[in-house]
Amino acid sequence: MELLFKFLSNTGYYLADPRQIIMIVVGSVFLYLGTAKEYEPLLLVPIGFGILVGNIPFFKGFGLGIYESNSVLHYLYFGVTTGLYPSIVFLGLGAMTDFSSLMARPVLMLLGAAAQMGIFFTLLGALALGFLPKEAASIAIIGGADGPTSIFLTAKLAPHLIGPVAIAAYSYMALIPVIQPPIMRLLTSREERLIRMPELREVSKKERVLFPAIAVILCCFLAPASIPLLGMFFFGNFLKECGVADRLAQTARTSIIDTATILLGLTVGASTQGDVFLTGKSVLIFFLGAVAFSIATASGIIFAKILNLFLKEKINPLLGASGVSAVPGSAREVHLVGQSEDPENFLLMHAMACNSSGVIGSAICAGILWSFLV
Amino acid sequence: MYGFEAITVHNGWAMALAGALIVFSGLVVLSLAISQIHKILTLFEKEEKAVDFQQDLKAPKEDEFEDKPLISLPKQLPADINEIARLYQPLIDELAETFYLADLYEISRKNKFPHPHITITAFRESEILIPYGEGVFTWNLPEENDDNTEG
Repeated sequence: MELLFKFLSNTGYYLADPRQIIMIVVGSVFLYLGTAKEYEPLLLVPIGFGILVGNIPFFKGFGLGIYESNSVLHYLYFGVTTGLYPSIVFLGLGAMTDFSSLMARPVLMLLGAAAQMGIFFTLLGALALGFLPKEAASIAIIGGADGPTSIFLTAKLAPHLIGPVAIAAYSYMALIPVIQPPIMRLLTSREERLIRMPELREVSKKERVLFPAIAVILCCFLAPASIPLLGMFFFGNFLKECGVADRLAQTARTSIIDTATILLGLTVGASTQGDVFLTGKSVLIFFLGAVAFSIATASGIIFAKILNLFLKEKINPLLGASGVSAVPGSAREVHLVGQSEDPENFLLMHAMACNSSGVIGSAICAGILWSFLV
Repeated sequence: MYGFEAITVHNGWAMALAGALIVFSGLVVLSLAISQIHKILTLFEKEEKAVDFQQDLKAPKEDEFEDKPLISLPKQLPADINEIARLYQPLIDELAETFYLADLYEISRKNKFPHPHITITAFRESEILIPYGEGVFTWNLPEENDDNTEG
């Protein structure tokens, strides 16, 4: 009988903490959004399941939790805390990304730069709310709407915030269809949304091969701290474009990125243990993340409108919203909002150009903030 | 510490401004660079084409050598076979002392001699072309100087 009581006292039912129950509910919501609503399922499903796994109550000291140094989850989490998984994800992203539209219309890169303003406004906001500079920078990078970049920078500057920052970043990426369209409609007139973009010129293979080599040099000379991200990103893209390493490119954009995404999502989810995650700071981080993402969206749109004052060939300001690096979610959303006004207006390729420049921009921002604060 | 004071103490204004400027300038430089790639490539391709064209001009093709007539022919060939043979002389000079009829036929055709096959047959019948054995022939040049002396 004593043995039975001892066993029961070691079960999750007995050890359960209300905060863990709350997190299990949050994890279930993630799984629901990912599977039933199909909001970024490749991210939300591993994270959601990771939240469930990480919040199952257990007795401490047995090497089970992600924060216990001898646990399996802890070893898997090593890839997050060292910035390994984000770099690998960037390799795969590079091998997937087609920069043709960006090369055909380089001015669209400026919208990607403008959308990074959300990061710097949020940096100020986080500092004003009492966060330390390294914490503020980690929170601000959520405005880049780039999960791997947010995790990378937070791992370097404020590892204790990885859980909330990563969850906030991925949540807002998944909630793009909810967050961005109202901001787009609020800041643009119908006439502006109806602007059609000209057809893009064809980009030669030589241009596409040269681009990653030139871009890695220019970007990493400017912000060497972004080498782990942009170095891998442009390497992946070079593999894709050079035409002689198709096997490697194929592996990078399938098996490698999938493996890294699974491990990244699962361990980030598992890092949200209720007792560590549910704090006042996490709530503030979620609030600031939403602010960062909204400002980033608005900055891109407003900058596109400013550009139109000087350009002969007007840019559809909706494209500014895809300057955040949520690939391809925000590009898709811009396209859909454009088509809701004019079903024959095809903005997707132009929006992808802004999106890919947003990826580059947010990685440069991460490098800049890291070098400012080390 | 909160508010503007916290931002100032932590150097927030400078970080935000410098950060924004750096990322903006970085992407502006990158966009300028990529906007020039296709122009530079086009320039190189044009130069390559120009060099190829000049080389073509400097070194005419082998065919052009071959196609260039060695002599200018009269509008109508003379009736006398010996006169025709004299027109053929520059072609014979291009060949070795003994030659195959096929070679003579080919060089005649390239030099736009009319009906070379018939002319070569006539040369053989007139013993201007003399068999040398094993399918090769030699040229039995009519005595042009004698004719001139006589004339």
